[in-house]
Amino acid sequence: MERRTFLSLTVGALVLAVAPASVRAEDFRKSKPLVWTAHTVDDAMKALYGTTETKAEGVKLKTPKVAANGGAIPVDFSTKIPAKSIAVFQDANPEAAVCVYSVGKHDITEYSIKIKMGKSGSITVVVEGQDGKLYSANQKLEVALGGCEG
Amino acid sequence: MKVKAKLKKGIVKVKAMAKHEMTTYNMAEKKLGDRDKANFITHITATCNGETVLDMSTSQFLSKNPIIKFKFKGDICKKGDKLLMTWVDRSGKTGKGKGKIK
Repeated sequence: MERRTFLSLTVGALVLAVAPASVRAEDFRKSKPLVWTAHTVDDAMKALYGTTETKAEGVKLKTPKVAANGGAIPVDFSTKIPAKSIAVFQDANPEAAVCVYSVGKHDITEYSIKIKMGKSGSITVVVEGQDGKLYSANQKLEVALGGCEG
Repeated sequence: MKVKAKLKKGIVKVKAMAKHEMTTYNMAEKKLGDRDKANFITHITATCNGETVLDMSTSQFLSKNPIIKFKFKGDICKKGDKLLMTWVDRSGKTGKGKGKIK
């Protein structure tokens, strides 16, 4: 019996040791399908990272305070924290998730995207650091003309 | 997909635009009468010399014809190399683009 536990432990340790080397870009839509149907930021964050506890530091987020056109709101964000993944959420649309980056070793974590928001709300950027902790930044903005009605 | 890439001081700056309607579920329901006709880009990747430099899973809330900007370390490429980008949408269609690193 002892031998068996020893063996299983060794195998477990081996798997753990091998995993980082084979880390590949992850398709979050396939691996975490619940993230994309969650209606609130908290639910989406839970589905993605298992917790909603984040430190509000280390992440820079820049958006206009008032967006004239909700159809294309520029969102710039960056972090100096060595990151595993970065997720962008907002709370104005029916679902919360906008996009999830998996950060590779060549990436510089500085991104800029354009997003749609149906009404005024706030944008949350969550950075999953390589230390396993979550860091976030949040910004409220007003949308003059909603972008989701088409 | 249009791709512009520029190498400067060891950093490659990329600006890319995908031509896509990015129909959300709500828009599909209103215009086409069927939520399931929603179609949007779900995944975008960029590779340079076989190395992945961008990998993002996206939802319907990127803007129409989304413009994305990102940066990566320039030690894996030189000027004149090609940057390849691919997107996949919900219907399974893929789009490709490439740009020379200037």
